[in-house]
Amino acid sequence: MAIDINKVLKKLGITDVNKGVSTGIEWFDTTGAITSSSSPIDGKEIAKIKNGTLDDYEMVLAKAQKAFKEWRLVPAPERGEIVRQIGLALRAYKDDLGALVSYEMGKVYQEGLGEVQEMIDICDFAVGQSRLINGVSLQSERRNHRLFEQYQPLGIVGIVTSFNFPVAVWAWNTALAAIAGDVVIWKPSSKTPLSAIATQKIIDDVLKKNNVPEGVFNLVVAKSSVMGDNFLADKRVPLLSVTGSTAVGKRVGSIVGKRLGKTILELGGNNAVIITPNADIPIAISSTVFGTVGTAGQRCTSTRRIIIHEDIYDDVKDKIVNAYKKISNKIGNPLNENFLVGPLIDEHSVNAFTNAVEQVQEEGGKIIFGGEVLEGKGFESGNYVMPCIAEAKNEFEIVQEETFAPIVYLIKYSGEVQNAIDIQNNVPQGLSSCIFTLNVREAELFVAASGSDCGIANVNVGTSGAEIGGAFGGEKDTGGGRESGSDSWKVYMRRQTSTINYGTELPLAQGIKFDL
Amino acid sequence: MIDKTITIEDLVEEYAFSVNFLSKKGIRCIACGEPIWGTLEEACIEKNYNQKDIETFVKELNVLAKN
Repeated sequence: MAIDINKVLKKLGITDVNKGVSTGIEWFDTTGAITSSSSPIDGKEIAKIKNGTLDDYEMVLAKAQKAFKEWRLVPAPERGEIVRQIGLALRAYKDDLGALVSYEMGKVYQEGLGEVQEMIDICDFAVGQSRLINGVSLQSERRNHRLFEQYQPLGIVGIVTSFNFPVAVWAWNTALAAIAGDVVIWKPSSKTPLSAIATQKIIDDVLKKNNVPEGVFNLVVAKSSVMGDNFLADKRVPLLSVTGSTAVGKRVGSIVGKRLGKTILELGGNNAVIITPNADIPIAISSTVFGTVGTAGQRCTSTRRIIIHEDIYDDVKDKIVNAYKKISNKIGNPLNENFLVGPLIDEHSVNAFTNAVEQVQEEGGKIIFGGEVLEGKGFESGNYVMPCIAEAKNEFEIVQEETFAPIVYLIKYSGEVQNAIDIQNNVPQGLSSCIFTLNVREAELFVAASGSDCGIANVNVGTSGAEIGGAFGGEKDTGGGRESGSDSWKVYMRRQTSTINYGTELPLAQGIKFDL
Repeated sequence: MIDKTITIEDLVEEYAFSVNFLSKKGIRCIACGEPIWGTLEEACIEKNYNQKDIETFVKELNVLAKN
């Protein structure tokens, strides 16, 4: 069924020119730059956005500070009820928001729907967590004393999101921050502001209906000259959650670190799949190809390297190439469900792709499939490419970098699986990894202390596409942050240890005597 | 008119050719599909260019912008 994008925009409240600043209750007619958002699918402008100014940022921050004072007093399960209703609103708009994400970002419609489903899932998770913000009761060494730890709301959480997951990452952070008693200020990617505005509009009704204080859920579309280093350096924002490149993460870490603020950094990956002679090859191929070409290779968790044992290398290589041949007929408009791979986000990403194709050859690698920019009917935007497979060595400079596009490097290993793991770990990044094997020794070694050094280490599950239930994030140049499931909620809170003396004496810790 | 205080975000948006120009100097303006943060001057200093180099780059970029 064809998707009528104009109907989608109308339903989501997107007009020709849109306000870009909201406090959850009010939208503001700002005087900042008027920017536009275009679709990578056809290059057409979707709509314009009125950006925020420095004054708008200050206004939103003041409202957020005020709102925090109220919101932190609302019982966590009541905060969870608001998040539950947000989840319901997202369910109601799932198809439309999924379509807009697809149109504005370029991922296929199924993945657009999947992104909104992630938002719904994390809302559900957060609702449950709102009744489980638990502390620890400990044993005091002093008579008639009680010792315990608890978690308190932190304050304003700044959320900077990237184009490739224009709304899900906001939800990962916001759902948990909200139940934790925090308030959020969202700076979306300048490439996908309309998805952010649509999301904010979807939650508007929930906030108004429930009299949520103005300033709990804030959105500021602004250039980095307005909301950049000043946002990072702002002591009124105790936690910055930033998804982006390692280069941006280093800047964020440096600026926020100088003021001893907290960060959640979700940065670049250089994710590898290991395929051993003991692998279930059909599963390995299907899973790996989704990891390499899904979202046109523009996921943080996209598979960048495939490390294959020499005994099965030729066979696996042929099978991957055959799978790519099938994919080559399924590249096109991502709103058409016949296609599996959409465009890259813009010309710069296309250039990065073609540069990587050139560089890997200059370094001695060999292209065995794809690597071209597609032309002709349906590809007029210039953003579509034929996914590329290259044979390469792990030490190549281009292999050590993350290219945010569908280029994957085949790397041969010999001997024991530890050799493959060593190759896999020998990159600056440490986000996602996986091994395909039915051998329990190889599988266990992969997730042991000497195994994968990544934040995500899967067995017979590809690198791409994590569930919200687990903590998401990576090590080394990936930044070390964790968000989404498990106990990630703790990052959004202030940990407090308390000792209460309910006795009539004043014993000091460690038995110290201090008699006046 | 480009000067060294322009943000990379604005440079990329308004003068798209700059991405390739700076890439040849080893300065990566785009990472993970997004412009890096900071100014042109900061990006150059990060790659150990001095003020004289930066002035030259700015002049060359402005010439390219006119053409």
